[in-house]
Amino acid sequence: MQNILVYIALGLAIAFLIRKYFFSNKKGSCDIDCDC
Amino acid sequence: MEGSVTTNIALVGNPNTGKTSLFNQLTGLKQKVGNYPGITVDKKVGVCKISEDFTAEIIDLPGTYSINPTTLDETIVLETLLNKDNESHPSLVIVVAEVENLKRNLLLFSQIKDLQIPTILVINMADQMERKGISIDIEQLKTELKTEVILISSRKKTGIETLKRKIENYKNWNTEPIASTADRIDKDFFNTIREDFSEMSLYKAWLLITQQKYCSFLTEEQKVKIGKLKSDKVKIKKYQHKETIFRYQRINEILKKVYKVDRSQATDLRSKLDRVLTHKVFGYVIFAVVLFTIFQSIFEWASLPMDYIDGLFADFSELVKTNFPAGKFTDLIAEGVIPGIGGVIIFIPQIAILFMFISALEETGYMSRVVFLMDKIMRKFGMSGKSIIPLVSGTACAIPAVMASRNISSWKERLITILVVPFTTCSARLPVYAILIALVIPDKRIFGIFNLQGLTLMALYLLGFGAAIISAILLHKILKIENKSLFVIEMPNYKIPSIKNVFYEVVEKTKAFIFGAGKIILALSIVLWFLASNGPSSFKNAEADVTLQEQNSGLNSEELQKKIASYKLEHSYIGYMGKTIEPVIKPMGYDWKIGIALISSFAAREVFVGALATIYSVQSDGNNVGTIKERMAAEVNSIGEKRFDLPTGISLLLFYAFAMQCVGTLAIVKRETKSWKWPLLQLVSMGALAYICAFAAFNLLS
Repeated sequence: MQNILVYIALGLAIAFLIRKYFFSNKKGSCDIDCDC
Repeated sequence: MEGSVTTNIALVGNPNTGKTSLFNQLTGLKQKVGNYPGITVDKKVGVCKISEDFTAEIIDLPGTYSINPTTLDETIVLETLLNKDNESHPSLVIVVAEVENLKRNLLLFSQIKDLQIPTILVINMADQMERKGISIDIEQLKTELKTEVILISSRKKTGIETLKRKIENYKNWNTEPIASTADRIDKDFFNTIREDFSEMSLYKAWLLITQQKYCSFLTEEQKVKIGKLKSDKVKIKKYQHKETIFRYQRINEILKKVYKVDRSQATDLRSKLDRVLTHKVFGYVIFAVVLFTIFQSIFEWASLPMDYIDGLFADFSELVKTNFPAGKFTDLIAEGVIPGIGGVIIFIPQIAILFMFISALEETGYMSRVVFLMDKIMRKFGMSGKSIIPLVSGTACAIPAVMASRNISSWKERLITILVVPFTTCSARLPVYAILIALVIPDKRIFGIFNLQGLTLMALYLLGFGAAIISAILLHKILKIENKSLFVIEMPNYKIPSIKNVFYEVVEKTKAFIFGAGKIILALSIVLWFLASNGPSSFKNAEADVTLQEQNSGLNSEELQKKIASYKLEHSYIGYMGKTIEPVIKPMGYDWKIGIALISSFAAREVFVGALATIYSVQSDGNNVGTIKERMAAEVNSIGEKRFDLPTGISLLLFYAFAMQCVGTLAIVKRETKSWKWPLLQLVSMGALAYICAFAAFNLLS
């Protein structure tokens, strides 16, 4: 059971890092006039 | 008397310009308070006898900064000015400005003037001009604004009679617009507006289009036309921004000709303070003392809470290890997640103290003086005084700092600023500096007063700033781009900082650090722990192999466990990765474990401490986990010497001072410069500088 939890945590962490650095979309949070 | 009122006069102005004082002067006790039609917002109306045969009703409109309606007050002002059927619609408008903030006040004036209603500009607080060293060429201002301009003092009751005499003649006032921005924004679009709304002025039609809701007085046909024109809301918003920019450009041009401030002639407290704080010698001395106080305080005040947080996380790790069921997931929590998160939380006190100082200094108005002071220096280095804003905000984070360079009008100065801003010591470097300084710089006092660790931290901040300046000089000489710029800054009044504002700023900045970096560090801690806790066959057979190797060495059980843990880490996936890069980083004095932390922190610098905390935590194999500082202090190299000694520590400090270890900054530089050329130049040149300095420091100090 603990092993499964480790792999779930690892999968989530990798998915988060990939999304953060490869598919980051900053347009939604832009709050200044930057033509975006 | 009441029956003879024939003319409505609207009093319009920014808040705190003395509009109500002027209203009281004009109307005396002949006032009444009512509501604007349809809304329960107070409307003050009073009667003023302009001359024997001319009596006017003065309407005191709510204070507003512009007539682009975003608030109820602005909507009221706009509806009153645009709707001819409104009972308060004025025949003429008095725009009240105040002498010290004329630039901001003129934005509203220029908008009202463009509505082509007879308008007069009244500049209040004229009695303070001499004290503040302000002079205004009124005749030239009248010509530029195509408007009557009067200086008054509602406090000293001067200029009121002159104002009345001018109002008598309002039908002859020039109603030409002054800031024709339409054709510069989008000629075709505004020609369509001209054609569709030929019955009204272009600016009035444009304002009607920019309303969120349709104004009450519009006909159905006008609403349909407006609906079509405002269908692209993003475009309308963008044009509104452009309009404001063009207006300010025109205002700046005018003020450059007519408005002079000679602080050396001023005698008020603000001017006296300005003279000292922007003095060519004392100004810099005071700035250095301020910086020195900040960095001393960061170490003096933060050490106690930091030690407490560090200990708390160590205890928490221990607690999980001993109370949770044994297994991989418990190990992940105790050795990966908790030390990783601890590596972020521990720096809250230092970050909060840094931002408390910066925010308080901004609130007092001192930072604007620093910008002014630095302009003289910055120009010599190819930057603008405005570059100091990105450089100072870079102490928080280089990403907003790069974006803050947008208000620098010269492309060359802006590009140089963008390229050198990442040298400024950002809050992500602070954790790295803090832990390394605490490890390698003795906690002692010089002359019994100055904390050596605080001095080192200040030296690193100055080093970053110095690197930015030297790079700017080089770029100024290398970049062949034409350069023209003008530096204009509005100096705010001095004030006591609001505790509430400072508190919110500190909370916001600390939250941004914790949640921005925290999520990445948590994810990386999990990945690093996994890579450090797993490996190929040599990792799996570690226990048997080490026991076999050491069976005749006489090690006790605890020593053998340490040996096994160390062997496992070296033969884990992360161990192999670290060993691969070790030849490259060894000349700087780093081993493969530091190499792993260096690579992990390429995404974000602050990950460095968390990554090392995770690696050393796995290595400890559960025996005496300890605090992050203790684990790093206990780490030894192959010959049993401290891993984090002075040469390695200084080498690492210099590496982090110069290296471009931030993916986010690279991305934002690419976006701002619209090219990969500049971020790649930063990455390579800063990386090379970091490597050379770290290499030189390690070898000179070893």
